[in-house]
Amino acid sequence: MDGAHTPGPFGRGLAWATALYLVLPILIILPVALTDQRYLSLPQDGISFEHFRTVLSSPEWLGSIWQSFTIAIAATVLSVVAGTLCAIGCWRISRRATDLIRVLMLLPLIIPSIVYAIGLYRYFGPLGLLDRFAGVVLAHGVTGIPYVVITVSTALAGFDPRLEQAARGMGASLSQTLRWVILPRIAPGIFSGAIFAFIHSWDELVMVLFIASRDVFTLPRRIWDGINENLDPAMAAVAVLLILFTTLLLMADRALRRRSEG
Amino acid sequence: MSDGRGHALVLRGLSKHYGAFTAVDKVSLEVGQGEFLTLLGPSGSGKTTILMAVAGFVAPTAGSILLDGSDITPLPPEKRNFGMVFQGYALFPHMTVADNVAFPLRVRRLSRADRDVKVRAALDLVQLGQFADRLPKQLSGGQQQRVALARALVFDPALLLLDEPLSALDKKLRAELQEELKALHKRVGRTFINVTHDQEEALSMSDRIAILNHGKLIQHGAPGALYERPRTRFVADFLGKSNFLEGIARVPTARGFTLEAGVHDIAVRLTEGEAPPPEGKRSLLSLRPEKIGLLTDGATAENVVGGSIVAWSYLGAGYSLRISTDTLGELRVVLPAWQASFAPAEGLPVRLGWSADAAVLVEDDAP
Repeated sequence: MDGAHTPGPFGRGLAWATALYLVLPILIILPVALTDQRYLSLPQDGISFEHFRTVLSSPEWLGSIWQSFTIAIAATVLSVVAGTLCAIGCWRISRRATDLIRVLMLLPLIIPSIVYAIGLYRYFGPLGLLDRFAGVVLAHGVTGIPYVVITVSTALAGFDPRLEQAARGMGASLSQTLRWVILPRIAPGIFSGAIFAFIHSWDELVMVLFIASRDVFTLPRRIWDGINENLDPAMAAVAVLLILFTTLLLMADRALRRRSEG
Repeated sequence: MSDGRGHALVLRGLSKHYGAFTAVDKVSLEVGQGEFLTLLGPSGSGKTTILMAVAGFVAPTAGSILLDGSDITPLPPEKRNFGMVFQGYALFPHMTVADNVAFPLRVRRLSRADRDVKVRAALDLVQLGQFADRLPKQLSGGQQQRVALARALVFDPALLLLDEPLSALDKKLRAELQEELKALHKRVGRTFINVTHDQEEALSMSDRIAILNHGKLIQHGAPGALYERPRTRFVADFLGKSNFLEGIARVPTARGFTLEAGVHDIAVRLTEGEAPPPEGKRSLLSLRPEKIGLLTDGATAENVVGGSIVAWSYLGAGYSLRISTDTLGELRVVLPAWQASFAPAEGLPVRLGWSADAAVLVEDDAP
C-alpha cells in the first residue's frame, strides 16, 4: 500500500468505534449466555452452561428450532428455484422489460416488511394460510427471492455468452446447455443466494408476528415472546447458537466463493 | 475424421439487415467439398455475420443456405452438426480438456467407452494427448486454441467454422498455427470456413479467399489469382500493398494499351482473354511494390521513371522505399535486401523500371 493515505488519529478512532459498535452487542450476548444467575445478567461467581442445557432439553425451544429450520429450508428451495429461473430468463432475453422485472423482483427488499406483513395478513386469511407452515414458507420464500436474483444475476454478468453459443453449436439442447454449462458456472452464485435466503427466513420476525400465532412458532418468535414475558438467560443461549449457526453459513459461503475463484 | 469427405455449402443471395443497416448484401458463394475457404474483410464487412448465419446463430433476412443441396436456413444451430472454433475459443472453464472435447459426444449420448476413444484420437490429432486432465486456464493460448479445434472436430461435423481463430495469439505463434491449421485441414479433409481480417493469414492458409467489404462480396478466388489479378482497387489495397496509377487509356489493342498518366505513358500488356479499356477511358492500374525494380546504369525496362528516395526502412529480408518520381508522383518499392547494390539514403537519385505485364487494370471502387 505504498503511497496510500494513512489515516489520522481521528479517522482511526472513528473506524475502531464503528467496528466496536457493530460487534459489541453481539459479543455481550456470550457472557450473558454463560451467566450463573437466573435472570439476564453478567456472570457473578463463575460461568455456567446451565442455560444451554435448558435450551437443548426444552421441547418448546427444540420444537421452535426444528420448525424454523424446516421453514427456512423449504423457503430457500422456493427462493432459489424462482430467483434462479428469473435471473436466467432476464439474462437470456435482456430487453428493457427485463430490467423492469429485475427491479420488481427487488421490491421485497425495498418495501418495509411490516407493510408486506399487513398485506399478507389480509390475503392469507381467506386463503386459509394463516398460522400454517405453507403460509410462512410462501411469505419467506417470496421475500427471499431478491437475494437469489441479485447473486445469480451477478454470476451471470461474468458468464461468457459465447459458452452458450458454443454448447448449442455442438448440438446441445436448451436443457443440456442449462444443466452442463450454465448451472455449473453460476452454482456459486446460486449457493450464495441460497445462504442469504436461508438466513433471511431463519431470523425473520415481523411477518411471522402477523401471519402465525400458535401452530407455527418459529425461533425468533419464541425469543421475542420470551423477552416480553420473562428475562430467562436461555434466550441469550439461543442467540449464541443462532450467531454460531449464521457464522458457519457465511463461512461456508466464503469458502465456496474462494474455491470457485481460485 | 472417419469418412474423410467434406460437404459442399452454397450461399444463395444471403442478406442480413439490422434495421436500416445492411450487414450482408446479397452474397452468393459456393464452398466446395473439402475446401478451405476464408472470408476476408475489414471489420464491419459482414464476414462474421455470414459465418454466424452459416452456424445458425443469425437468421438471414433474405436468401438461403444449402448444405449438399438441401436448404438448412431454418435449422437451429444445434441441428446443423457444424463444428465451430469461436474467437477466444469459448472453452468451458469448469471442465477439463478431455471433458471439453467430450462435450459434443456427451450431447449425442455416446457411451463412455466410445467417448474416451474419440476424445483420445481428437487430442492426439492436435498433439495434446498429455494435457487431457488439465483445466483450460492451465494451458497456453496456442494450446487452448488446439483444444477448441479438437472439440470442434471430434463429432465428425459436416463443416468446420473458424471465427478469427488465431487473432488472440502473438505473431510468431500465429505463423506456426497457420501452418498447423493448414496441415490439419489436409489430414481431416473436411470443409473449413475461416473468417479473418488478417490478409497474411488468408493468403497462407486458404484454398480460396472471398473478399468482402460493406457487406458485399467483392471478389473470390485462389490466393495467388486474387493477389495477382485483383479486380478492384479495394482488393488490391486490402490484399497486400499496391501503388495506384491513374490515367487515360490510349491505343487499345488485343495485346495491350498505353495509359497516359499526365506527361508519362505507361505500357500495359494484357493477359489472355482480357479486354482492353476503350480509347479515352479513365483507367486505374494497380502496381505491386515488389514488381518495381531499381535499374542500374545503362539497364532498361519497358517502363522507366526517374526519381529520388523520400524515405526508406529496412525490413530484414528487404528494403521498403518511398520514392518521389519525376512524372508519376510517389511510388512504393519493396526489394530484397541482398539484391540492393547500394545503401539507401534520403535524396538518393534512382531509376525505377517494371515490365509491361506487372501492372493490373483495376476497377476504381474507392468511395
